[in-house]
Amino acid sequence: MKVFIVPPNSLILYDLVERFGHQPLSVMGTLRERVTGKEMESPPLNVTPKDVTKGLKYAGIEVPSGVRGRLAVWGPMIDEAEAAIIMNDTPFTFGCVGCHRTNLMLMYLVRKKNIPVIEVEYPEDEEEAKIMVSKVKTFLEGLK
Amino acid sequence: MIMIAPTSDLTPDQLSRFIHGLGYKITIKETCYGANIEGDKDLIRKIVPEVRKLDPNRIFIKVRAYPIGDERRCRAHHGSRPGFNQMEKEWMDLPLIEAGLCAAESGEKCPERPPRKKLSVEKLVKIAEEETR
Repeated sequence: MKVFIVPPNSLILYDLVERFGHQPLSVMGTLRERVTGKEMESPPLNVTPKDVTKGLKYAGIEVPSGVRGRLAVWGPMIDEAEAAIIMNDTPFTFGCVGCHRTNLMLMYLVRKKNIPVIEVEYPEDEEEAKIMVSKVKTFLEGLK
Repeated sequence: MIMIAPTSDLTPDQLSRFIHGLGYKITIKETCYGANIEGDKDLIRKIVPEVRKLDPNRIFIKVRAYPIGDERRCRAHHGSRPGFNQMEKEWMDLPLIEAGLCAAESGEKCPERPPRKKLSVEKLVKIAEEETR
């Protein structure tokens, strides 16, 4: 099954999904096709002005173009997803550097879609990690 | 992208040599955190389970967007590394995930904890006062 992960670039979630026998939908896979493609106009940037327009499918015109540009890449993955795992309170998605607003929008879109979703907390100690991994494992094993 | 947890005894050198030893026609780059491998998708799918067997709960794998040695990211070409803080944080926390995987394997029961409490205003004021002293 195709499992969408939030944050979409998380190593921990990507590994867990693949380890327990599912296909993770991550931003790295999608971006790889973009950054290796010839049509990229300005290579250090990963989105084109066209993408910002495509992002209108997922967010209104009043939403900042940075959020829409990101959603143009992440949105189609949500459309494709058959299940999702959301990891809350990840330290690296905090504030403007982690584009927190896009993450909130992403979580809203995932929750709105009628697919199995599990929400876990980013672990801060061993006990929390044990709870997180066992919840993710049970969820992924139950998807078959 | 293959990342070795800090608790593992495996070194990036051993990992790279092992992958070379498998004899597949792929590109391998040894890095400070493990190795990057690139090649035919079917070959990579064959290699990944072999690599995991080396240290199952201490080796973590994900896809990387940029190709090996890409000038936009490669440090040798002074490329920017915008994802480094995230990778560093996740790498530091891999031993926690390892403990979680070991617990899941052994069937340990992990009772749910009460939800985390938010920081109270009083405590925040106290911290701020301590910092400004």
